Amino acid sequence: MAVSNGAGGMFGAEARAQYGALARLRWHMFGNGMRSKKGALELGARAFTFVFYAVGGLGCGVGAGAFAYLMVSGEKWAYLPILFWAVFLAWQGLPIMLASFQEQFDLGILLRFPIRFGSYFLLYVVFGLLDISTILGGLCCLGLLVGTTVARPELFGWTALGLVVFAAFNILLVRAIFAWIDRWLAQRKTREILGAVFMVLILSVQLLNPALHRHRQTSTNAAQKEDQAEQYRRAKAEFQTRYGPWLEAANTVQGWLPPGLAAQAVRQAAGHGSGLDDGAGEQWGSLESLGVLGLYVLGAGAVLGVRLKAEYRGESLGVAPKRAKLVAGQDKKGQEKAGLGVAGQSKARVGGGLLDGAGPIGAVIEKELRTLLRTLPLLYAIGAPLLLVLVFSSAFIRNGPAQHTFKLALPLCMVYAQLGFTRLFYNNLGAEGAGIQLYFLSPTPFRTVMLAKNLFHSAMFAVTIVIAGTLAMLRLGVPEAEVLAATGAWLVFSLPANLAAGNVFSLTLPYRVNPGRITRQGGSQASALGALLVQAVVMGLGAAVFGLGWYLEKIWVAVPLFLVMAAGAVVAWMRVLRNADGMANQRRDTLIGTLMKEQ
Amino acid sequence: METAAIQTYGLTRRFGALTAVEGVTLSVAPGQFFGFLGPNGAGKSTTIKMLTGLLEPTAGTIDILGQPFTAGALELKRQIGVVPEGMALMGRLTAPEYLRFVGRMYGLDKATTNQRTDELLEFMQLADQGRKLVTDFSHGMQKKLAMAAAVIHGPKVLFLDEPFEGVDAIAAGMLKTMLTGMISRGATIFLTTHVLEIVERLCSHVAIISQGRLVANGSLEELRAGVASTVPGTEQTQRLTLEEIFLSIVGADGQQESAQELTWL
Repeated sequence: MAVSNGAGGMFGAEARAQYGALARLRWHMFGNGMRSKKGALELGARAFTFVFYAVGGLGCGVGAGAFAYLMVSGEKWAYLPILFWAVFLAWQGLPIMLASFQEQFDLGILLRFPIRFGSYFLLYVVFGLLDISTILGGLCCLGLLVGTTVARPELFGWTALGLVVFAAFNILLVRAIFAWIDRWLAQRKTREILGAVFMVLILSVQLLNPALHRHRQTSTNAAQKEDQAEQYRRAKAEFQTRYGPWLEAANTVQGWLPPGLAAQAVRQAAGHGSGLDDGAGEQWGSLESLGVLGLYVLGAGAVLGVRLKAEYRGESLGVAPKRAKLVAGQDKKGQEKAGLGVAGQSKARVGGGLLDGAGPIGAVIEKELRTLLRTLPLLYAIGAPLLLVLVFSSAFIRNGPAQHTFKLALPLCMVYAQLGFTRLFYNNLGAEGAGIQLYFLSPTPFRTVMLAKNLFHSAMFAVTIVIAGTLAMLRLGVPEAEVLAATGAWLVFSLPANLAAGNVFSLTLPYRVNPGRITRQGGSQASALGALLVQAVVMGLGAAVFGLGWYLEKIWVAVPLFLVMAAGAVVAWMRVLRNADGMANQRRDTLIGTLMKEQ
Repeated sequence: METAAIQTYGLTRRFGALTAVEGVTLSVAPGQFFGFLGPNGAGKSTTIKMLTGLLEPTAGTIDILGQPFTAGALELKRQIGVVPEGMALMGRLTAPEYLRFVGRMYGLDKATTNQRTDELLEFMQLADQGRKLVTDFSHGMQKKLAMAAAVIHGPKVLFLDEPFEGVDAIAAGMLKTMLTGMISRGATIFLTTHVLEIVERLCSHVAIISQGRLVANGSLEELRAGVASTVPGTEQTQRLTLEEIFLSIVGADGQQESAQELTWL
């Protein structure tokens, strides 16, 4: 009999074999994730992106190290907790936000195997070590250790110990939070709602920038600056008088919370903070802080354990509320049915199409509109740059009121607004999913589908440009007529140019857009880099023509030049449309396979 | 001589070194309910994709209703309905929105599209799901919607790739009634499924593909007679079921013996 009797506990032979199997699974998942049918270009683009993120992560670690070095070497111990709090918030906040955009690997599937609770708990924690936030948090901790050690080598031991306990707490806490919400996030609607909340938060943070700039812009001469400085000092004094006691209390409280305790352990090891004057007393203080931090670790572990135990017994938080909702919904439907027949309901629903009489073009446009309104990533892509035009425009009015703004600020704002359409233009089939098959099955030519999509996107583009232009002009003032005309002419050139290139990219380098996620679309890096390159060329041509007009001090020269270029772009666009059927049919296998592929 | 509804000559599809379908020649008469069977990975879905324009054949020709069928044969596509492997649904639309969209893509006018959408939703028992997005449908509901979309334009030739998978018994019964009704009105149906009982009950003719090659083709009686003649004693002792015919033709005997060797099970 080869079946294990399960003896040996969570580190027995069977458990070790299970850990090994799961480690191999993760390795295979990682390796298979690197496979790409899109060729060397895609692989190169992925490698570039990986290096980009790796540099970003290392940058955070180096930043944390530099901050720690400055604080420790400068003996600015009061500010050290800020660093620990920043690491803590990033560690806990990042995965929750990222989780709203990515499918979760449900460890609950392990429960069908003969796995012990201890092993399940351990695997759940170990899986967390591969989270992007834990890797980032780990790099920050490492940086912090290096920075502190370089500043004060004798602190290495205590700092390392403190950071290990701090990291253990963060890992357990983030997994505990996840254990409570991951099933909840597994539902499409809740994931999308969280994504929307995140979107609003990001935009809100961006809008802080112009709000802060408003105050800086008023200082145009020395007297005003001095006046403002005086006002600032007065406000600061008033703030300290009013909120000083509260801040003191908050500081005391944070000292008893994990980030504060970890910072305190380092501080006390350095001989500051306990009030005791001998080295042994300071070290005892450090131990005390670490002991309390250890209690937090146990607490986080207990919270995680309680949740996982319930899950281990078969409870699923994610499913239960949905069932309850369904039952409630059925009751409501039953009541409705008593008054109105089902056929009557469906008839009432079916009527009222948006573009009923327009044939396939109208059908595709209506479908695009409905899909867009229900696809958060696409709405975000359009909406974010639109609002960020507000932020961007502030860069041109720092030094004075509207009449002193940079002359070509409006076209630059338009360029920014256009960026939001990159995904719509350059991957216009991405959100179709399995629906792409219908375009090949139906008697509607592919060029009609692409034309309808282009018309819809052009209409969206026009509306966005009008709104962005109005917002920019309200902030910057109305520019001279020649700038306005040249900007319009550049848009007339850039739109068909982008549509033509976008159609080619959509048919040759498509990638699936998951409607429930904003980021981590698993898209084609080659497509992204290519789109960026084409956009750069279109913008570069625009900049060159504007530059020529600027040099000649006749901006209006740009208008006929842009219109000539626009004529060329329109010809290219029409040519691409004419060839759309051939291109699509030639690549239908790749198109269907790529767009239907589950991520 | 009557023109075949579906006719292929030497249909072949290669994916690099792999030949998924090789030299398939078959003919389906108008009004025939044709079952296309084969084990997993035999080439059924690849064949149906080529027959419906979703995949370009490496070699061979396809005639539908007597006309050469290519990806650009748009008028011919009006005569064809398909439930493909991936169902071709659009997750971010509701069922009525999706059916209306499909109807218009096939060139139906507004009134006809709306009327048929209503009737099909009612028939498929999806009328009370009108506000739900297709992505939130169960697999069975999605299959029913895909079936509704495949017939909304009243096709003369219908290709069905596993249409009964995940569909409940009540709906499956209704679908069978609908399909036999279409046959009685002259439509041709090309069906692939792993449920042999359905094929046995509905189909008059069957073809079996194995490892990319057509290994049997004919009426059920012809296949039965063919197998009976090769298996000694079967012609007198019993009437062979389609499952027995299928297993006999695709050579599953060796696999059954292998399974019996798994003594630890």
